[in-house]
Amino acid sequence: MTHELLNGLSPTEAEKVLELGTRLIVPTGTSLFRLGDPADRLFLVKRGRIRLTLPMQVRGREEDIFVEERAPGQTVGWSALIPPYRFTLTATAPLFEAEVIALSQEALRQYFAANPAAGHKIALNLAVVIGHRLQLFQTMWLREMQRTVEVRSA
Amino acid sequence: MDMLLMGLCLGVAGVVFVALAFGAAMRSESWNSSVQPELPLVQAAAPARFFSDRVAVPRSVPPLQGPQVPIEVLLLQIENHVRMEQAAAESFLAFPTHALLHSKTTSPFVN
Repeated sequence: MTHELLNGLSPTEAEKVLELGTRLIVPTGTSLFRLGDPADRLFLVKRGRIRLTLPMQVRGREEDIFVEERAPGQTVGWSALIPPYRFTLTATAPLFEAEVIALSQEALRQYFAANPAAGHKIALNLAVVIGHRLQLFQTMWLREMQRTVEVRSA
Repeated sequence: MDMLLMGLCLGVAGVVFVALAFGAAMRSESWNSSVQPELPLVQAAAPARFFSDRVAVPRSVPPLQGPQVPIEVLLLQIENHVRMEQAAAESFLAFPTHALLHSKTTSPFVN
């Protein structure tokens, strides 16, 4: 399986990065991390799906509202590499158990320091992941604002 | 008669004198008192609040769903809406045009 975070790395480099990780099973309905938790690990989805949610007040109750779903090969929890190192979403395995590879912040830093070329490629891949999220949500925000403007000016 | 008028004048003057003396005595007592008169409190200015705990809903915007819809259904509608909007946003990002950005959604959540 190819992971988006490891694009452009040689098979040997990718193998070395994966060896830094720990395999984790996320049972059905349990959280991988919760909003506000310290983000000290980044996760590569290996099997199953990870659902990302944000809390919203619905009829006076706080409900976890679907934001995004991550599939095998995709990355979850890049807050581990971005200050202030706190998760800004809640991640759960919704319907089936999921399997992820957990890469600790510290292990990645040490690897980047020892292998700057590979670290540069991973940083660029991470920028693609973050940039895509940004573009996606700024588009969604604009569409919601457009609807609000139409309702208010109707 | 003269005596009566003189007595009346002296009586009135005495009443006035006693009233003035009583008033002066009361004033000095209130100034000398260790208990200060209670002054009206200056109302503290409310701290400026940029964010509100509650979302203000304009009166012109109707509620999205009636209370008769079960919350599970409502949450499902929200999720479907988010998924549809993400798909629309993905289409726009793959081929950015004004038309795709402003394409109308068929999501029942907002229609």
